[in-house]
Amino acid sequence: MRAKPGKADGVLLAAVVFLMVFGMVVLYSMSAYNGRVRFGDSAYYFKKQLFALALGLAAMYGVARIDYHVLLKFSVPAYLVSLALSGAVLLFGDAYNGSRRWLSIGPLSFQPAEYAKPAVILLLAGVVSRMNRRKSGRMILAVMLMILPIVGLVGTNNLSTAVIILGIAVLMIFISNPKYLPFLWILLAGSGFLGIFLSLESYRLERLAIWRNPELYEKGFQTVQGLYAIGSGGLFGRGLGNSLQKLGFVPEAQNDMIFSVICEELGLFGALLLMLLFLLLIWRFMVIATHAPDLFGSLIAAGIMGHIAIQVILNIAVVTNTIPNTGITLPFISYGGTSVLFLLSEMGLALSVSRYSRI
Amino acid sequence: MQKTRPFHRRKEVVIFLGCALALLGLGGRLAHLMVAESEHYATLAQDLHERERSIKAARGRILDRNGIVLADNRTVCTVSVIHSQIEDPEQVIDVLAKELELPEETVRRRVEKVSSIERVRQNVDKEIGDRIRNYGLAGVKVDEDYRRYYPFGSMASKVLGFTGGDNQGIIGLEVEYEEELSGTPGRILTLTDARGVELADTGESREEPVAGNDLVTSLDYNIQKYAEQAAYQVMEQKQADSVSILIMNPKNGEIYAMTNVPEFDLNDPFTLLPEYLPDAQTEETDAQTEAAGASDAEKQSTAGNTLTGEALQDALNRMWRNGCINDTYEPGSTFKIITASAGLEAGVVKPEDSFSCPGFKIVEDRRIRCHKVGGHGAETFVQGIQNSCNPVFIEVGLRLGVDRYFSYFDQFGLNEKTGIDLPGEAATIMHKKENVGEVELATISFGQSFQITPVQLAATVSSLINGGTRITPHFGVSVQAEDGALTGVFRYDDDRRILSEETSGLMRSLLEQVVDGGSGKNAYIEGYRIGGKTATSETLPRSANKYISSFIGFAPADDPQVLGLCIINNPQGVYYGGTIAAPVVRGMFENILPYLGIEKAKSKETEVKQ
Repeated sequence: MRAKPGKADGVLLAAVVFLMVFGMVVLYSMSAYNGRVRFGDSAYYFKKQLFALALGLAAMYGVARIDYHVLLKFSVPAYLVSLALSGAVLLFGDAYNGSRRWLSIGPLSFQPAEYAKPAVILLLAGVVSRMNRRKSGRMILAVMLMILPIVGLVGTNNLSTAVIILGIAVLMIFISNPKYLPFLWILLAGSGFLGIFLSLESYRLERLAIWRNPELYEKGFQTVQGLYAIGSGGLFGRGLGNSLQKLGFVPEAQNDMIFSVICEELGLFGALLLMLLFLLLIWRFMVIATHAPDLFGSLIAAGIMGHIAIQVILNIAVVTNTIPNTGITLPFISYGGTSVLFLLSEMGLALSVSRYSRI
Repeated sequence: MQKTRPFHRRKEVVIFLGCALALLGLGGRLAHLMVAESEHYATLAQDLHERERSIKAARGRILDRNGIVLADNRTVCTVSVIHSQIEDPEQVIDVLAKELELPEETVRRRVEKVSSIERVRQNVDKEIGDRIRNYGLAGVKVDEDYRRYYPFGSMASKVLGFTGGDNQGIIGLEVEYEEELSGTPGRILTLTDARGVELADTGESREEPVAGNDLVTSLDYNIQKYAEQAAYQVMEQKQADSVSILIMNPKNGEIYAMTNVPEFDLNDPFTLLPEYLPDAQTEETDAQTEAAGASDAEKQSTAGNTLTGEALQDALNRMWRNGCINDTYEPGSTFKIITASAGLEAGVVKPEDSFSCPGFKIVEDRRIRCHKVGGHGAETFVQGIQNSCNPVFIEVGLRLGVDRYFSYFDQFGLNEKTGIDLPGEAATIMHKKENVGEVELATISFGQSFQITPVQLAATVSSLINGGTRITPHFGVSVQAEDGALTGVFRYDDDRRILSEETSGLMRSLLEQVVDGGSGKNAYIEGYRIGGKTATSETLPRSANKYISSFIGFAPADDPQVLGLCIINNPQGVYYGGTIAAPVVRGMFENILPYLGIEKAKSKETEVKQ
């Protein structure tokens, strides 16, 4: 007994399109130097990203058009595929910068970890929405156990993404359960576990030391360069395209540290504006989630909200050296084809849910 | 399908609020970084991005006393290529190879090398640099630079010294007055990327260099030229190893000329003159006993005259040495001026005292010979000086005794360096007082068994005959800006009394008599009153039969305004100072005295009171 699909969320669509355009402009600015120096082509990164963006737009459009309820029966197979891909990347993946994260199919390369995020969202939305409410306490444990394999597989060589997946899962389970207290325990247990985990290996503690005094450590170079970029931005920045830090000082300016160079070029105002845009996005996900006709749709939207929020918050926190350095990209802005492809697919999913909103 | 329940929605709102809160916190953090700490990080980033290129300051010139430029600067260019900015490499290679007269492969290698900036050639003439600049080739950089240039080539080479590639003084006045001459380099600040490549469109800030001050010296171009001509002439005539001539003002210590021929070309200081090849050198270095062994070893290792490495550097160092101040020698009879001054000042001898010279004098168990084997017979002290009679001075020395002799040696300033404004002045090599017996004292009295530098002798004699005050020999007179505005005058000690006026006057007249009728008569110039003393000393080891002939003279004898010292190392044939060195000083004085405006006396006989 479903309502007829209405119009998709226009605000969300507008925000996404704006972010995309903004992201491409900024990406060109950030990557032109590295592209020229390494590949003799200022537009090298831009072109590759544009290709992924085109694919992603097509995917977004396609996904937005379908009825998201259809995906319910694909939730488990899609998850199994992500497990298979993440397993395959460990065996056949291409290493880049020392991490084995890419699967190559012909000229195209693909990061299974990016695919794992929507797969987990879909899986948990499917499982939780069909869950027996009476046994919800035990179900929490069961659901956690279900996603542990993917967390383990992804975490083998991409700890940051594993943490994001885990974070998405915790948020979705948090929504599924009326209680608050158990999650406080989970939070405390999580921090305790993290503390033990960090102190087990000295190199992890070193990361903490670098975080506190980045300028004293060679490995703090990236952080320090990011801070230089942010600090030299001031209120209004050097102006688009005028960053000096992107000229090889901030390593891989088009990747994780892109926000620092945005700060340098566009200043505090530009950076805050971008953060507001992300907040608008997250707000729309919340609106879609709370107006979804059923729990499945609501959880999909909430999962996507969690995904975007976690990455944005962690990325900015890392770049501003608020938390220790870990490699997390800024959605829609950082360079990365697979990332943008699946981000846009998720946007399609959210738009699809929004079409069925209760008024 | 389950419906959402209120708590689901509530929790979704909670998550959103949590995210909003986190973003708010990060926004605050960002504002802190970009406002409060902005300056801190911006400064650090600025330091990181800026590359400093220094602009050489024009080095101050060195002028002679009349403003003739002895050391100048010439604008030269450095041609470099910036790989990333080159648009047409073939054209760049063609033009640079043609204009710089370099082989094409050399230029090609530089142009095609992937580096931020590559020097193609330094010290390119300004005209060529301008021509290259006029091609307007992208990626070719022509930087102007100064290079030291010595208009008179080898003139006063060992005094002026030269500069190295970085325009810093290496020897001579160039080192001594580095601070005044060097100026303050300017800076060009440019922004670069992480590889150090300059960014073309960011502009540059410039700090202009401050040129060094010109150094005005006491050198006189003309006197220096006469001195060098005279030195070369006598060196050639006598086939001597080297000749040193020093001309100075005995009243204030200003040095008008100092030459040690052979002089080297200041514009090409690293090319060894044939005279300084180790083979030629062995004969000369005997003056320094310690050098003998070393030069023998050198001769073997550098057979074939193709010097490399250390041997070449040693030879160059010998060529650059300023014998007048860097080397010591046994002064011989010129030192009798010191003994005479001490004896007269102490009152142990008077001009009319009579002595007897049988051709030798026995001191303790030694028989010390006079240079005149048959002896000078009966003579007064005046005649003793005229004859340069060794026994007379041995007698004076012995009358003074070791204590008094050493105290005068000290009082006259012989134990300290003269303080001349050139680097590397050698110290006096003297016996330890406790080791000096009568025999040593006797030899010291006529200038043997110890060593001093020529400049020490000239400075001490100047001080003894100028009225008795110790002067500091020097070149530096003042510093001035390029436009001639005076920025500083050097002061030298010149009021330390070392001898009474009376004794000083007496010495002047005694030494005038040496020239008038004694061993220094070859320095006599009709119409001028000239004082002086000759010397002929045998170098160590005595068995080599090598001599140093010298003459020290001053004029006018009653009011000395110029003093000259000529030292001839290892002359062949006649080696008496009075015969070969005195005429050199006479020749100098004949030119210098009129040049300095010193008038001839009307009739000499009427003025001599003696």
